[in-house]
Amino acid sequence: MNSECCNPLVPLPGKIIKIVDESPDVKTFHIAAAEGKPFTPLPGQLGMLSIPGVGEGMFSITSQGPDHLEMAIKKVGVLTDSLHDAQVGQPIAIRGPYGNGFPVEKFKGKDILFIGGGIGLAPVRSLIVHCLQNRGDFGKISILYGARSPEELVFKEDLFKNWPQAKDTTVYVTVDKGDEQWQGHVGFVPAYVEEINPSPSMVLLCGPPVMIKFTLETLSKLGFSNEQIVTTLEMRMKCGIGKCGRCNIGSKFICLDGPVFTLNELEGLPPEY
Amino acid sequence: MQGIAKQDLNKVLETLSGGGAALLVPMEIDGVTRFARWEQGAKTALGAGNTLLPPKEALFPQNEKVFNYEMSNEEAKIVPSAAAAEETIILGIRPCDVRAIQALDNVFLTKDYVDELYKTRRRHTLLIALGCTQPAPTCFCSSVGGDPLQAEGADIMLWDLGETYGLEALSDKGKDLLKKIDKFMSKSRGKKPAAGKFSLEVDSRGIAEKLHNMFEDPIWDRWYQKCLGCGICTFICPTCHCFDMQEKHTGQWDGYRYRCWDSCMFQEYSLMAGGHNPRPTKKERLRNRFLHKLCFFQERYGMLLCTGCGRCVRECPVGMDITKFIKEVSEVSLNE
Repeated sequence: MNSECCNPLVPLPGKIIKIVDESPDVKTFHIAAAEGKPFTPLPGQLGMLSIPGVGEGMFSITSQGPDHLEMAIKKVGVLTDSLHDAQVGQPIAIRGPYGNGFPVEKFKGKDILFIGGGIGLAPVRSLIVHCLQNRGDFGKISILYGARSPEELVFKEDLFKNWPQAKDTTVYVTVDKGDEQWQGHVGFVPAYVEEINPSPSMVLLCGPPVMIKFTLETLSKLGFSNEQIVTTLEMRMKCGIGKCGRCNIGSKFICLDGPVFTLNELEGLPPEY
Repeated sequence: MQGIAKQDLNKVLETLSGGGAALLVPMEIDGVTRFARWEQGAKTALGAGNTLLPPKEALFPQNEKVFNYEMSNEEAKIVPSAAAAEETIILGIRPCDVRAIQALDNVFLTKDYVDELYKTRRRHTLLIALGCTQPAPTCFCSSVGGDPLQAEGADIMLWDLGETYGLEALSDKGKDLLKKIDKFMSKSRGKKPAAGKFSLEVDSRGIAEKLHNMFEDPIWDRWYQKCLGCGICTFICPTCHCFDMQEKHTGQWDGYRYRCWDSCMFQEYSLMAGGHNPRPTKKERLRNRFLHKLCFFQERYGMLLCTGCGRCVRECPVGMDITKFIKEVSEVSLNE
């Protein structure tokens, strides 16, 4: 990680080699550098992706293959608009990996509940994929995912095909509001968590702040301790290496010390996110 | 103590800048005191108190290119920029600003990543500090752990002894440089002067520990109200190091990415794509700035991010005074 030899703010050139439509405003981009995979992140780590001439932004790395990285990106601003307009072959630049990643060791041998809301499933997916690839290292896996509507569900192939077929894995999907075709569960994530009344040893929770807030209340009501709950934080970032200042929460920098925190660690920080 | 006669100063500066080194000294340019490159005939402002603009620009320029890019349909070509490796001497830097550079060293040279551009400049920079015998009305370095007469981390110390400058090498680099000006040195009768009286004093002991428990304190509701959010405090601060990354197009397909100073007092600083801002009003922004200076930096690097130079106290258009804030914090009683 220590880059004595070169400027850590300089990215590697690469390309978008595949684009998957996830929902009307989310696409997954497969990214490769000229020499193959740009770097090998741990589950939960981040990458700074840019289109030179447009801008640069920090994104969670959803998954990876032997020769590429995957980032599921929601269209919310200037850079992500350009990414959503891009075609396969679009030259990009990328640097990383950044951040601490998920505490994989803490999850080993444990039953795990993954809770994702909206695009918050993107960082969670990197650990789900890791667990399924190293299935023997982990206990039972439950995945609870919620989106606002059926068309906004991301990673549909995983949710409805790949993950339900995996060993000792249960998938729960809910939407805030269904449509005519929707046969599945309707309701908010926190209520669904309470309904399922799960009893895993570890919970990984990512999603919009309001969902996190109410889900944490539910988990606390169900008797989970702060040490059992892991979540991720998001702040604006520019450098990714703890120098530019803006992603601090208290004396921690989300780009270096985060984005992953146990609830215990979060409670030691000012509530400014 | 060794010394050089003031009448020889120009010759000393000429010798120091010989051989191509950039010699930066305090000068007054268009009414603004700042560090600028000394050339034969230039008038220094060594006796004018500390400069309005700190010398941080020499190590951390306000704008700095990171790389050039050239886009095509096939590839993104990236050409990294190298930091200028010009030998630089900063002469006349005050002890508070030397400590500020130590804070910048912590930021840019430690904690997993080394900032290549800063490191290159820093490695080629030599600091000749000038001790302060008469603190300005807004100076308070001694209240935040500094010493107006001694600059730990400088290569050479200078003191104004009236007719002469007394000097002492503090590092090997400093000793080597003194050899270059050997012929101007004589035994000075003076000895290290005593510090003048500070008119601004405040007890900052334990401020970080106390502020750690004051994130929700009502003190912030009072303090942010008169702040204009203009950012002058961050601009003139010798320790403020926040930066933004921006791009400049030089053609339709090419351009460069650069970094530039940014300010935590601006709304865009923490505004995220999608519109969420964790520090949406001046209250959160002012709180973050003061906590960064007086609490978070101490927790992360073991020193305050305020060296008592007094520039923000002097220049704030609405008279925001960090020493008054420190005093108020010390008077708060936390009932726990």
